[in-house]
Amino acid sequence: MGQTQVPDSGKILAAFPLRQALPSEASGWKTGREDQVFSRDNIFDYMDGGGEIYLAYDFQFVFVREYVRDDAPSIVTEIYQMSSSQDAFGVFTHDTDGDEVDLGQGAIYAAGLLRFWKDKVFVRILADSETPEAKAVIMELGTTIVRAISRDGDKPALVKFLPIDGLKPKSLRYFHTLISLNAHYYLANVNILSLSPETRVAMARYVKDGSEARLLLVEYPTVERAVDANGRFVEMFLLERFEADGKVPPKKLEDGKFAGVARSGKHLIIVIEAEKKSVLDWLTKTISQNLEG
Amino acid sequence: MKKRRAGKTVTRRDFIKGAAMGTLGMALYGKGRPVFAGAKAGAVPFAAENPQSVVVLIRNVKAIGAGDKVDAAVVQDMIDTAVKQFSGEADAAKAWAKYVRADDTVGVKFTRCDWMRVHTDQAVIDAVVKRVGEAGVVPDKIYAQDGGLPIAKCTALINVPSVKVHTLTGIAVSMKNYINFAPAPSKYHSPSTNLGEIFLMPDVKGKTRLIVVDILRPYFGPGPQINPLHRWNYYGIMVSNDPVAVESVCLNICQAKRNLFKGEAWPITPPPEFIAAADKTYKLGTSDPTKIRLIKLGWDKDILI
Repeated sequence: MGQTQVPDSGKILAAFPLRQALPSEASGWKTGREDQVFSRDNIFDYMDGGGEIYLAYDFQFVFVREYVRDDAPSIVTEIYQMSSSQDAFGVFTHDTDGDEVDLGQGAIYAAGLLRFWKDKVFVRILADSETPEAKAVIMELGTTIVRAISRDGDKPALVKFLPIDGLKPKSLRYFHTLISLNAHYYLANVNILSLSPETRVAMARYVKDGSEARLLLVEYPTVERAVDANGRFVEMFLLERFEADGKVPPKKLEDGKFAGVARSGKHLIIVIEAEKKSVLDWLTKTISQNLEG
Repeated sequence: MKKRRAGKTVTRRDFIKGAAMGTLGMALYGKGRPVFAGAKAGAVPFAAENPQSVVVLIRNVKAIGAGDKVDAAVVQDMIDTAVKQFSGEADAAKAWAKYVRADDTVGVKFTRCDWMRVHTDQAVIDAVVKRVGEAGVVPDKIYAQDGGLPIAKCTALINVPSVKVHTLTGIAVSMKNYINFAPAPSKYHSPSTNLGEIFLMPDVKGKTRLIVVDILRPYFGPGPQINPLHRWNYYGIMVSNDPVAVESVCLNICQAKRNLFKGEAWPITPPPEFIAAADKTYKLGTSDPTKIRLIKLGWDKDILI
């Protein structure tokens, strides 16, 4: 995840192809206030207190267009331009509550809110309130945007190491930093796993043979950083002594569930909240094998 | 190799054991529902030497109608009833006169968040402003604002927040509502532990006379942006003068709603450590349910607390 310089707002608005693709009118809804664009430098002007979640990914800018119609809910279209399809996918996984719909490379609709991703773009289209007409326009706008994006993007390579078998639907999250981990799952009040913009994290929940477990697969830039994070997790979370060349067995915690960590090169496989040790062992072994290819 | 666990490290295991954030931590991790109603005293200002607080929660299903339209008259009545109960006065004017004087300059600090859309409802703001005016404060000495409220000019503040679970602070009610009084608000976002120190800034300290919480349509989702599935009609107004007690009660309500929504434990994350710090470090109020007298009025279906 690198930090890329973005051009100023005027240049983005003038050149952004997805803006050109959007209609000026849809079923009586017309463009309202002027189109806006916010970059990494001024995202807080748009969402004060919320921009951090986007900045935790390689967010470039967000294009915002409002559609209004008398006696109808306004509809706001937000197109988030990321620098990679992996991070567009990651932002999409931030909140997956809603019904899956067939649009782009993954889409969810809920009560007047459509979210989807395709290539390097994540899109949110939200009506003030849901009506059948507003929903139809939302889907129409979404379809228009999807058609204007010519190619699909790759999902994060890390995700491909996760077993499909037992994966709980819509539980997968992909991110980089502590702020995202904290938004989904609280591990500690300090950065135990040494997460940073350079780390890649896939988190998911599994059910195997009727027992649940939570997985965190973390990829570090180097083996040394993975070893260090391994030690931090063992000593600060499992509360066991860590020797860099040794393995620490899974541990039954206060809630009766199992937690454990294994390292494979620059990857850490962390399984927590495993209702049975057998699920932890299965996840660890399966992912280790996938990583070793 | 030397062990790395530092003394101040708090992990999820501490919450599971019930050893972190006291009863607040227990609420998040399902270690038992708190029993409010500990305080027996009336609604006196919170004092460290007498750490007891009163929170009045009133609900009315008629407050929100079709299309989630808020009924301003019903809201006015709810606020009046709650403030009368809180003050111990039978008359709304006498009740408000306990909190604002004609010679005050009053800041009505509400929550306006265009992108998030979980605002303090205009009906709530209008009801508060109306009563402040009727207490004798002239209109040009009432500043009903979110950003840009001239805090230094104000001799009194009415804290009028909405209620939402927040990606960075855990929950955002009366304490986070003051975040833009700070010169660098983002300093209090992640971690939010020191949010309470804003209440001790010279221009803020001691000015909050009353807290009127809009808990008509709170938000319980992960945010930061709204997912309409995560907003529900709770039909409530809450009145107190203890921001810590207010956060504690709202935290319990939102946590209960999250668990109901998912059908399993869905702890608010990150844990709002600022609530415990506001209690223990900044001594702004109490988060201990045994010291909070929660008075529940009106409709009690799905009250969650």
